[in-house]
Amino acid sequence: MHKLSLIIPLLIIVTLISLTAGLSFGPATMTNSQIFNCIVGQCSDKITDMVIWQVRVPRVLVALVAGMGLAIAGAILQNTTRNPLADPYLFGIISGAGLGATLANIVITDSPLGEQLYIALPLAAFLGALFAIVIVVLIAKLLQRMEQLLLAGIAVSFMLTALTQFILYFGEPFATNRVIFWLMGSLSRVEISNFYVIATIVLLTLSIIIVLHRQIDALLLGDESAASLGVNVDKLRLLMLGLCAALSATIVAYCGGIGFVGLMIPHIVRQLIGVTTLKLVIGSALIGGSFLIWVDIIARSALENAEIPIGIITSALGSLFFLFIMVRTRNSA
Amino acid sequence: MAIQLKVRQLCWQANHKKILHNICFDVSQGEVIGIIGPNGAGKTSLLRCLTNQIKKTQHSQLSGSIFLKNKALHHYNAKQIAQCFALVAQKTAPIFSLTVADIVKMGLIPHRNLFSIHSDHDKEQVQLALHKVGLGHASHQIFDKLSGGEQQRVLIARALVQKAQILILDEPTNHLDVYYQHHILQLVKQLKITVIMTVHDINLASQYCQRLLLMHQGQLVCDGSPTDVLTEQQLSQVFNLPCLLEKDPITHHPRVYFSLAHPNQRKHIKGDFNA
Repeated sequence: MHKLSLIIPLLIIVTLISLTAGLSFGPATMTNSQIFNCIVGQCSDKITDMVIWQVRVPRVLVALVAGMGLAIAGAILQNTTRNPLADPYLFGIISGAGLGATLANIVITDSPLGEQLYIALPLAAFLGALFAIVIVVLIAKLLQRMEQLLLAGIAVSFMLTALTQFILYFGEPFATNRVIFWLMGSLSRVEISNFYVIATIVLLTLSIIIVLHRQIDALLLGDESAASLGVNVDKLRLLMLGLCAALSATIVAYCGGIGFVGLMIPHIVRQLIGVTTLKLVIGSALIGGSFLIWVDIIARSALENAEIPIGIITSALGSLFFLFIMVRTRNSA
Repeated sequence: MAIQLKVRQLCWQANHKKILHNICFDVSQGEVIGIIGPNGAGKTSLLRCLTNQIKKTQHSQLSGSIFLKNKALHHYNAKQIAQCFALVAQKTAPIFSLTVADIVKMGLIPHRNLFSIHSDHDKEQVQLALHKVGLGHASHQIFDKLSGGEQQRVLIARALVQKAQILILDEPTNHLDVYYQHHILQLVKQLKITVIMTVHDINLASQYCQRLLLMHQGQLVCDGSPTDVLTEQQLSQVFNLPCLLEKDPITHHPRVYFSLAHPNQRKHIKGDFNA
């Protein structure tokens, strides 16, 4: 408890520092006092005001809630499936979103609705991600083995990726490029409205988890043990899966593919704070949010006059992180 | 003693295979009951039925009745059943590093609503239960790093926090050394609540249970005191092995010896044992 009362305030401070840093980085040079004045509503000029409120604030806030959401989804999936490798992306969410985005690009670009692509693409990605999750749950239900959700997810993921690649192979090169870049993940297109949507779902998910955290903890000892404590295992798992699907699908729809956050952050939190659901989810939210803000800072500032897709950085960091874990586990064995 | 649990004509058929057939017995308050029988006899299945964990599906048909305090079990909701039965499963291996206190605290779940907050009283209950099982010092230790016997005691502490009237244990002495086998069963006996457990070691069951249920091929073959149930003829038939029965010189409970030797060689076996 003492450890927790020290770490949580520390993580809140780190999150605030990350938010400030996120606002300070960018192509337009601004002093800290200029940024502060704009935030408190006393901007010296219109251009600074526009850059802060229409570019940097939405981007930093979306990075915060997207990082929070992906880390929470990973933490919940890992605890409810009792699988430390569970991640929203392994449940076919990214491949479903990819298929949705591909279909939107191919079908809508050539139609009179072409100009509506900026709405159609995230919407189709969201529907695609939900479609993938529904298929995964149906397969697991048909097999009457909810514990095999992850295997069903991997199978569906490969199937939908194959379908996407097939469509892209025969698609128009410009549309194909757009889908591929979208799948790499980026926060350059986000708006403040995206923040409101993602933040609402993150808050809703957090509230439900705070209410049900003991029931989710009971799953950590196995389904039979949880059922003996009066927990309705199947319903709880389905509810959590639905929440994680809605959360990840919304984030993927606005930000594209950002892998490894849901897998990596809960692993760090378990070492730092603890394994029970409430500690894990609050820790994951705080660390995940800060992590994605910093990754976005790297994406914006690593190359001059160019931006690296954020998904490339998270995947590279994620794989290095897992190699580090493997080496550490081997050394301590 | 008041009858706490009644089982009547309990049958369970899964994938066209009879798992349990026409099981009938009563359980009185405070009894320590051991379910014995060979592998596949239906011991664990019976425990699963008692805790209402069998789902009726197209491939799984359940019939008969279980009455808890004269009310059919299906009239209780999952939370009420969890307040009456505490289960200590055969194998519990948490995937992440849960502490002992984390696990014992789970016993409070059936007694809390979704919005209640852990209080100091809850912490006291957890600590008290851990003291009762001799692990008062271990609340912050990682469950995985405890010995098998200590892990069983943690799960019994969780059952104590659950305040269940009936403790269900599935093979509580599996994988334990002799010291912990006796230690756990002694502890269970001292709790003074109703206990129903499956036990593979017939001699341990004879020593610690007031009553034994002998099962074979999904049927309840015999129900009674260890002296009534543990007969050479019955055990030889059920376990398909020649067996020899003696009175334990120290505990005076029936003591059973099995051997692959032919029944005609029993006298020699007895001679060997006596030597």
